[in-house]
Amino acid sequence: MLPSFRYVRPRTVAEAVKALAAEGARAHAGGTDLLGCLRDGVFDAKSVVSLSGLADLKGISATKDGGLRIGALTTLAEVARHAGIAKGWPALAQGAAAAASPQLRNQGTLGGNLCQRPRCWYFRGDFDCARKGGEICYAVEGENTYHAVFGGSGCYIVHPSDTASPLVALRATVKVVGPKGVRTLPVEKLFVLPEVDHTRETVLAPGEVLTEVLLPPPLEGGKGHYRKVRSRGAWDFALGGVALALSVKDGKVASAGVVLSGVAPTPWRVPEVEKLLVGKALDAKLAAEAAELAVKGAEPMSGNDYKVPLVKGAVEEALLALA
Amino acid sequence: MTDLLYWLQGPVPETEPPKAEMPPWGETKVVGKPVPRVDGYERVSGSAVYPLDFALPDMLHAAILRSPHAHARVKAIDTSAAEKMPGVRAVLTAFSPGADVPWYRSRGRFYSKLFDERVRHEGDEVAAVAAETRAQAFDALKAIRVEYEEFAFVLDPREALAPDAPLVHDGGNRYGEPARYERGDLAAGFAAADVVVEGTYSTACEIHAPMEVHGSVAKWDGNRLTVWDSTQGVFVVQQTVAAALKLPLANVRVIGHYMGGGFGSKLEAGKYTVIAALLAKRTARPVKLFLTREEVFLNAGNRPANTMKVKIGAKKDGTLTAIEFSSIGSGGAYPNGADTSFLATDLYTCPNVAAVDENVAINAGRARAMRAPGFPQGAWALEQAMDELARKLGMDPVALRLANVPRVSQRRGNLPYTSTGLAECLSGGAKAFGWETTREKRKDDGPIRKGYGVAAGMWGYGGGPPATVVVKLYADGSVNVNSGAADIGTGTKTVMAQTVAEELGVPLEKIQIEHADTGTTQYSGPSGGSKTVPSDMPAARAAAIEVRTKLLAGAAEELKVPVAELKLDGNDVVSTKDPAKKLAVTAVPALQRNQVLVGVGTRGPNVEGKVISMFAAHFAEVEVNVRTGEVAVTKLVAAQDSARVMNRLTFECQVQGGLVMGLGLGRTEERVLDRQTGKMVNANWHDYKIPTALDVPAAQEVLSADLVDTECNTAGAKGVGEPATIPTAAAIANAVRDAVGLRVHDSPITPPKLAALLAAAGKKG
Ligand SMILES: Cc1cc2nc3c(=O)[nH]c(=O)nc-3n(C[C@H](O)[C@H](O)[C@H](O)COP(=O)(O)OP(=O)(O)OC[C@H]3O[C@@H](n4cnc5c(N)ncnc54)[C@H](O)[C@@H]3O)c2cc1C
Repeated sequence: MLPSFRYVRPRTVAEAVKALAAEGARAHAGGTDLLGCLRDGVFDAKSVVSLSGLADLKGISATKDGGLRIGALTTLAEVARHAGIAKGWPALAQGAAAAASPQLRNQGTLGGNLCQRPRCWYFRGDFDCARKGGEICYAVEGENTYHAVFGGSGCYIVHPSDTASPLVALRATVKVVGPKGVRTLPVEKLFVLPEVDHTRETVLAPGEVLTEVLLPPPLEGGKGHYRKVRSRGAWDFALGGVALALSVKDGKVASAGVVLSGVAPTPWRVPEVEKLLVGKALDAKLAAEAAELAVKGAEPMSGNDYKVPLVKGAVEEALLALA
Repeated sequence: MTDLLYWLQGPVPETEPPKAEMPPWGETKVVGKPVPRVDGYERVSGSAVYPLDFALPDMLHAAILRSPHAHARVKAIDTSAAEKMPGVRAVLTAFSPGADVPWYRSRGRFYSKLFDERVRHEGDEVAAVAAETRAQAFDALKAIRVEYEEFAFVLDPREALAPDAPLVHDGGNRYGEPARYERGDLAAGFAAADVVVEGTYSTACEIHAPMEVHGSVAKWDGNRLTVWDSTQGVFVVQQTVAAALKLPLANVRVIGHYMGGGFGSKLEAGKYTVIAALLAKRTARPVKLFLTREEVFLNAGNRPANTMKVKIGAKKDGTLTAIEFSSIGSGGAYPNGADTSFLATDLYTCPNVAAVDENVAINAGRARAMRAPGFPQGAWALEQAMDELARKLGMDPVALRLANVPRVSQRRGNLPYTSTGLAECLSGGAKAFGWETTREKRKDDGPIRKGYGVAAGMWGYGGGPPATVVVKLYADGSVNVNSGAADIGTGTKTVMAQTVAEELGVPLEKIQIEHADTGTTQYSGPSGGSKTVPSDMPAARAAAIEVRTKLLAGAAEELKVPVAELKLDGNDVVSTKDPAKKLAVTAVPALQRNQVLVGVGTRGPNVEGKVISMFAAHFAEVEVNVRTGEVAVTKLVAAQDSARVMNRLTFECQVQGGLVMGLGLGRTEERVLDRQTGKMVNANWHDYKIPTALDVPAAQEVLSADLVDTECNTAGAKGVGEPATIPTAAAIANAVRDAVGLRVHDSPITPPKLAALLAAAGKKG
């Protein structure tokens, strides 16, 4: 059952920011995540602020530098089928297409996908876990098949988004409007590790609205890929996966973005792998080496050591797909 | 409340044998044809009213407060705040008048109550509320203050037998003594074997998860109660509710027209029905009580997890010499079936067999019969062991099975089967699958490996009495068929209309089915056990024949010819000797005088000295990504022996659905309980993974062995719902073994499990 709350429909971003600065206010984009959280009592809401009337958050357009601006309210389905995105930033199109199910992609937005709450079953369930302000992370001693092998401490969620890893790999930025004005930050800096604050996933302050995602211009010789491994064919989050955004010049990797998904509380960039790839020709040997390096330092829990070979396999396969 | 299952325990009930002779059907005109559902339009267009859609004026909405703990005692309960909340009309607890109802009976003992002060699993009922709106009812639940004293709990059936294990029930964690079966001399059998295989296999607990959640609407009229229930059997609900409320059966009317799936979880009355009735009584208002999806996951049954040990001995030529099987499972916090040994003792010819089934209590949701209870689990173990045996013998797994096809039921007194299509299923399925040819063409390099697997199965129950059906022919020639059977989505109404149409020659459009209403229709057991076609269609056939007999007699009188000379031909009764002598059905005086001709048909006893069983063989093709452990099931072929196929479309629906469910057991489904709290962590559609359309192969082929069985019953059909899901998961597991050389002993075969196994084995693309 949904709790009772006030429903607010602002017309402008400024009004939305004001409404969202109030205590207990929650932004409502597509609602696919928000309504589930409210119904399941994951958190409460005093007021729910609809973003759907905000024209500034809509549409996809080219930027002056040849990049792309995607309004936060753009649905995952629109991102997945946009011909320009598929051509210039394929990892993002593939990530959006790999998320959830057709119905959810038609309703869920890109902004909401980045700001969604984690899917950890203790966080979502009837458990007073650390992320909800409780004492312990139940995953440590409990059922942790789907939990983190990197970046956990005090809380072991994995970041649920299939668009976040591609966006980090593509070095995308987001525009955020809040009570203190406008700021732009790399998507990589949007997310918060539990060691910094285990009760939230993003740096957004009360009242801040993510208004758009900005993609840099496509790289010369750019290639991209998103590989997601899941337990069933649809309607399932990543057990592990990888987003690749490479550029190849004269047969050699000129730049590389390599970001894992489903393994850490944030999209998990692996700079060592990016460094390894640059300057080399992408072949089977390099792919294997890079895959090995990608999972180096993983710290599996009692029930998720499979993630090490699984992610290794996914990285190798994804790199070979671009070779 | 009772342990009435669809194979009834105790003496076999009887209905009197049908009055007329019913020779086996020869060539049929309507039966067997791919007739679309008679209620297809209503179901698809949304105009069909399911119990969950049902609303009455002035109706209240109820909700149940459930234990958040796996094991605890309710020390105190304070409902005063809840009672004062807006819209709240009644709160029910263990202390409310009339609520002291014993529940969960097994072997003559009740294990609990409607609201038990000792809660034994997360989701056990603690209190209930009726309010003007559903939201008010749920808000009120939050305001009920309960003080619990928490107890230690046990989740694993094997741990439940440890000497220091927490006791789920005082007196021990066993539901009865282990059930043992033996024949021959096991030791001698193994001594005579050239080859022995041995292994331990386990299946995860599955939830039925039907589309429509469980629930009822209850309404009183004086001391008469009417219940609209989402159920597989209105008469079972009637019996349970009447006993709980101490009412005569005649005062309880249960209606269950449309219902949105059950898979066995709706074969019995739920506490929710009685709670709704009690709340309706207290408030003098109709009450609607439907579970939430989460409640269905916690407390509406499951297929229990089983751990099974199998040891098989065989001669070099594949002749089985000994089978040893042991199984442990749990009916849950309250007793229900968890046995799995049947297949090991009866699927193959083997002189020396010993089996034991242990059923223990744990602090988790209680099991309910789930589509072929015990059999898919048993197949998972036995059929993987047979696959291992074939490998060790260097024999084709199809050939190994063919070498051991039984002609008699060894478990049931060595009686012969009325028909046995196991061999036909194995060879017919292998041919359709391309078992010989595709396997040869496989390449074994690269990261994607193909594999092929086969598994067989049988279902041991062929229906039987009691069943009564009434057929009414109206003066305008239209027909009403009256049967208490539920149509749980399998097409019962359609097949029954076909059966009657076959005998009366009336077009299907002129037949209406009146069903599943204890107030107005005839007794039928709950729809489960693949027994509705073999139990109820013979009764429908007998009723139609009685109507036809009366009609012909009336026409004979009018036409002044002997009855034997007349036949029913569409709209007319015609003389076979002189076609000029004919009479429109509607002009038969006996019909016109009475305005209706009534036929009452019953299900006679099953044939003596023979056993009725259905057989199946499933074939699977998989592709395994050895880098990631992903498994794609790319092709499934199901060959089924159900004797006569009553309707090719409903038959295919059943088998396709059986394959998908089997794929769920093999590949995706698993209840996960948190070891720290005993709470289910995946009690929702997303975390409990039912296969999606993308997990089901586009290539699913359904074959029927089409055996003629004139002895199983007078419809010649053995039923199909359950055998269609028994061997699927094992066939998939065998295909995975074939693909990567590794056997996954524990269901489901997920990327996490397979990736870990592949890594441990050092496999790489
Ligand atoms: C069953 C299921 C399966 C799923 N599977 C996947 C999957 O496989 N991969 C995947 O990536 N995702 C998956 N999802 C998540 C889904 O993609 C997200 O729910 C969706 O993208 C969220 O978008 P929305 O517009 O509906 O967000 P909402 O539900 O409206 O909002 C989500 C959250 O973000 C906040 N928010 C939304 N927009 C903004 C904004 N512009 N600025 C600031 N805060 C904002 C809201 O306050 C809320 O907390 C799944 C979801 C479900 C329910």
